[in-house]
Amino acid sequence: MKSRYEAAKNVFIDSIDTDDYIELDSSVTAYKQLQHSIDKPLKMILLFGKPGTGKSILLNRVAEKLKHQKEIYYFDTPATSEKEFFHKLFKVLTGQDLPKNTEVNFSALVNYCKGLRGKRELIILLDEAQMYGPDMMEKIRLLSDSRTVKFIVSLHKTEDEDLIAKEHFQSRIWEVIELHNATKEDQAAYIHKKLLKKNLFEIANSLKEKEMKLIHTFTKGNYRECNKLLFTLFEICEYYDTNEPSKINYERIPKRIIEMAAIKLGYIDV
Amino acid sequence: MYDIKPLEEQWKAYHRKKRRPFYFIIIFSLFLFAGIYFLMNNKDTALEVLQSSPKQKNDTLKKHKSSVELIINHSLDQLEINEVEVSKKQMNPTEVIEDIPILEEEETSDIKRVKPIAKKKKSVRKKMHLNIIETSNVSAYKDVEKRFYQSHDIDDALFLAKAYFRKGDYKKAEYWALQTNKVNKNIDESWIIFVKSKVKQGRKNEAISILESYVQKSHSKEAKNLLSKLKK
Repeated sequence: MKSRYEAAKNVFIDSIDTDDYIELDSSVTAYKQLQHSIDKPLKMILLFGKPGTGKSILLNRVAEKLKHQKEIYYFDTPATSEKEFFHKLFKVLTGQDLPKNTEVNFSALVNYCKGLRGKRELIILLDEAQMYGPDMMEKIRLLSDSRTVKFIVSLHKTEDEDLIAKEHFQSRIWEVIELHNATKEDQAAYIHKKLLKKNLFEIANSLKEKEMKLIHTFTKGNYRECNKLLFTLFEICEYYDTNEPSKINYERIPKRIIEMAAIKLGYIDV
Repeated sequence: MYDIKPLEEQWKAYHRKKRRPFYFIIIFSLFLFAGIYFLMNNKDTALEVLQSSPKQKNDTLKKHKSSVELIINHSLDQLEINEVEVSKKQMNPTEVIEDIPILEEEETSDIKRVKPIAKKKKSVRKKMHLNIIETSNVSAYKDVEKRFYQSHDIDDALFLAKAYFRKGDYKKAEYWALQTNKVNKNIDESWIIFVKSKVKQGRKNEAISILESYVQKSHSKEAKNLLSKLKK
């Protein structure tokens, strides 16, 4: 017999599928801000935040929503080489595939972009752009100078480095949008909405304010960490529901199980 | 989920660790309450500090009432109070009855009457009336003077001012009244002794001008009465 918690567990599998996009106050604000920036005559827009703050899913959402209005392309995986990147860009610009062994002439590509100025405007969403080296980023900057291609670049904000200070961004980035971890209220809304989207009303109700507060304490509002914790939590609930039903309370998820999930993921050091 | 049992054990260990501070707090609180309870029970047998009320000073000579005798217990270095019935007839005319605050730290060896006392339990800080036997021994006053220089207690200074005034030593009475005024400018009694001492030493005009300025500041009735008497 399938446990009710199996469906709940699957809700929190980490993905950037636009079907899983949840509208929260903070995400709606970020989306509107990004949409507004795209409409401005800017060359490059920087979207940055800690891992797990929702950058990829936001870019995906923007691409999905604007694909019928603008020429917008989402490069979700960074290219492993310059050659691969320019092959992708060439296809986007011309609609044609280049033979694999062909090297792209960068100057010709830039001139071609300049020739398209005023006729077309392409928006390229570059996710995980911290993977691109400085040379690559410099070439991306030169392409953006043509005004034919607009780049929206998504970066991790790490503890050790302040990417804004990097030289090749300082004079190039005209707009910076930062994403933060969720507040306690936003995260509670995120969890509830995700469960309600899959009609898991009773399970959504079994997570009360105190449990949400505890989850926020462990995950610090990070969406990725939240997905991991909830997945593990419902995995434990699924086990108890199947094998030891006396240890589970259907009306309210016991604090003990949340703490067990936190121990498993290393949030609590025993 | 294959590792649920080890996870449960880990959670139990975490839960015990989390509870530890609460157990310490509970045990500590129990010890604290036990200590307070023990102290409260033994508190009544400890000696108390008493103070007499200055307002009832004038009534002590007139009324027949029970009064307490100040006795110093040398062995304990504490003050103990004994309630003693005193009748007017039994009172020696040379005795001076005074209400002064009971002093905790110092003792004078010149107190003549020392009686065995019965211990009585009283609450702390209750004002009592005292019968103090005046002595002609100068060293008693010296002790009080010495105490004043250390503590600057106005009751000591005022006591000395009054004592010297009664004895007729107006120069010393003036000095000690001045010391009292230096510590607290608002005591009528010390100003009156100060002025009277000056008058007794023949400095009436000076006394009147000092009293006039005091009356202006304080509007004291007693001071006004004295001023009007001096001006006659």
